[in-house]
Amino acid sequence: MYSLDGKVALVTGGSKGIGKAIALALAHRGAKVCINYSSDDKAAENTLSELMEINGWGMKIKADVSDTDDVKRMVATIVKEADTVHILVNNAGIIRDSLLMLMKDDDWRRVIEINLNGVYNCSKAVLRPMIGEKWGRIINIVSPSAIMGRPGQTNYAASKGGIYSFTKSLAKELARLGITVNALSPGVIETELTKVLEEKVRREFIGMIPLGRFGNPSEVAHAACFLASGESQYITGVLISVDGGLT
Amino acid sequence: MDNGKLVEELKGLLIRSLKLEDVVAGDIDSDAPLFGEGLGLDSIDALELVVALEKTYGIRIPDEDVGREAFGSISMLADYVIKHKS
Repeated sequence: MYSLDGKVALVTGGSKGIGKAIALALAHRGAKVCINYSSDDKAAENTLSELMEINGWGMKIKADVSDTDDVKRMVATIVKEADTVHILVNNAGIIRDSLLMLMKDDDWRRVIEINLNGVYNCSKAVLRPMIGEKWGRIINIVSPSAIMGRPGQTNYAASKGGIYSFTKSLAKELARLGITVNALSPGVIETELTKVLEEKVRREFIGMIPLGRFGNPSEVAHAACFLASGESQYITGVLISVDGGLT
Repeated sequence: MDNGKLVEELKGLLIRSLKLEDVVAGDIDSDAPLFGEGLGLDSIDALELVVALEKTYGIRIPDEDVGREAFGSISMLADYVIKHKS
């Protein structure tokens, strides 16, 4: 079942939701997992305890992925503690939905900075360790918005579409070095974000999903574990959708 | 460390880190460009070499401009390492 024994993983935005599910699943398969988070100390503390319970190893680092120096410090800390980084899951992201005409400039800017620049910062920071290992897995969490578009999400869709193009290019740069780069696109997943949806909106979403239900974080995590494993070594530059057929 | 000894050491590091199986140190012209011609190395090889150099000598090759200067030839690389190593 895709053993990740001896691998070191960093999951950004790993204290809650899909990021947390991926972090725990990687740990279940034997990886040493460091979660990055931006603000919720309590959630990070809880996730860290769960990681420790799974395989006796865990780390949490508070850092703003849009801040280049913060990210450099974060990766240097992991390399100091765990020697290297084999797996990076670029999951950190924010949503600031608004129709474009009424969008605040800051909502455009922050979404691009955190979602897209964050992927740039984190991917760049782990390349030296990964090239040193001649092995690496970069998994970028994108969204159906990147492919389909969605009203109110020009900023989010642009950031995720940008990540998808970034994924394709970086995959071609690194293929020869034993590093794969792929995108993973969760559809509508049961998390804190979707729990608060009104029943009407919920039904509307479900009507669009051929499988007729929201996904579970663990279903996204399974796909992430496969992409993180050695078994996926001939797959790079692709997008895998875990969305019940939505796209 | 004198430049001549380092030049030989760097040739060894180049061969090892890029797994240049058919090349021996004597084949590498100390004054020829490292990339693009001669050994047939490309920009992806340069990434591996950067990581190997940084690990071995504690130097930093932060961007392409610096890389272009450092990888002008093995002799130029030796000069760069001597100047920057920690």
